[in-house]
Amino acid sequence: MCHRWPPFAKLFTAIAMILAATCVPITHGPLVGIVACVIFFAHTLARIPLAYVCRRLLFFWPTLFLMAISLPLSQAGQKGWLLFVTIFVRGTLSFSTALWLVNVMPFDQLLATLRHLRVPDVLLAIVSLMYRFLFVLWDELDRMRTARSARMFRKPTLWETWRSAAHLVGRLLIRALDRADRIHGAMLARGWDGRTRWIEQRREDRP
Amino acid sequence: MTESSVISSPSAVRVERLSFRYPGGPDVLTDISFTIAPGEIIGLVGPSGAGKSTLLQHLNGLLPSKLPDTSTLPLEADTRQGVFIDNIPVARKTIAEIRRRVGFLFQDPDDQLFCPTVFEDVAFGPLNLGLSDDEVRQRVRGSLASVGLAGYEPRSTLRLSLGERKRVCLAGVFACQPSVLTLDEPFSSLDPRARRTLIAILRQFSGSQIIATHDLDIVVDLCHRVLLLDGGQLRAAGQTRDILGNEALMERHGLEVPWRLRQK
Repeated sequence: MCHRWPPFAKLFTAIAMILAATCVPITHGPLVGIVACVIFFAHTLARIPLAYVCRRLLFFWPTLFLMAISLPLSQAGQKGWLLFVTIFVRGTLSFSTALWLVNVMPFDQLLATLRHLRVPDVLLAIVSLMYRFLFVLWDELDRMRTARSARMFRKPTLWETWRSAAHLVGRLLIRALDRADRIHGAMLARGWDGRTRWIEQRREDRP
Repeated sequence: MTESSVISSPSAVRVERLSFRYPGGPDVLTDISFTIAPGEIIGLVGPSGAGKSTLLQHLNGLLPSKLPDTSTLPLEADTRQGVFIDNIPVARKTIAEIRRRVGFLFQDPDDQLFCPTVFEDVAFGPLNLGLSDDEVRQRVRGSLASVGLAGYEPRSTLRLSLGERKRVCLAGVFACQPSVLTLDEPFSSLDPRARRTLIAILRQFSGSQIIATHDLDIVVDLCHRVLLLDGGQLRAAGQTRDILGNEALMERHGLEVPWRLRQK
């Protein structure tokens, strides 16, 4: 049912949940539990499967772990570990909330809402282009990977894997730069002069 | 020729002694001249690397990266050099007007569809023209209908087939109501049905078109005249059947006589 909420309500709910998750002190166990329950409840309302959230979290946790692990290593004693747990819990809750938001809110609606909130145009343009071309770049990477494995006749050693991954990333960067050049040309060709203009889609534009 | 006689001869596109090279590189285009009449469809053919894309990019001022200043252009018609759209020189001062008149369809639709939704993408050109919101909406609806994609407004640009993406690109170009259309390899990697749809749409466009393509059978079908480019030089220009049916000429420039003209 969250899907039908007005866009502002979705965005503010998400912001409120993230604020709550990051402001509640970790030592107040019950409070943290309540926040976690609210976020879990929001997911249930939106009918987002728990398995999906867990799968995404599995991708996120290693990064979070690497970010947080430096604290107990640099700070002796209990304080370091407390910080570690704090970052881990807050990161997990915030990430779950972000997952909830992108699931209940189509991307163009999110952009439109942010625009109404006067988020600077340049930032929105960056986010919008990134979202658009992340998928294109991903497809390109995928094709390059397939082409590479088509010519790989045995199981590569770890060193070879890393080396060819580095090559792929380098190639992808060059391709991305070329593409950026062509996109800029396409924008110029349709009269772009550096100013972002914007029109809201109305209900009648959404048959 | 005087100024008035130039204007009286109708030409949608006029290219006069155009040469171009990238800084530090060899010549990409050498001394190219031709004109295109209003409503004429031109096929631009030639082997890969002949300079077709580079030539197209000159027609709406994407190249050269440093555009000439109009004031430095010689006024005498016979010494004029450069590209003229509806007799307006492509120059720094005229570039906004030129880009309004010349619509450019890029080879890869992913380069051209940079907005999250179809509606926003088609609205991009009209918004840059400074039209009112109502006019923009009207143009979006009209041009999507003209490419057979009415009702696609809220769709995400990510979830479209290649043929649909090409047509959305074309709608975005039509929305600016250009008088000249330049198309870079519009038919590449399209399946036969998508190709036929695209051809039908192009036939309905009333302005001039210049189509760079390797698909010579479509050129026979669609184009009134052909320009043959090779090594950056204009090697031949004339009626489609005369050029594409000339086996010796086609052979010389690494092309083939299309099937349509062979089985006579």
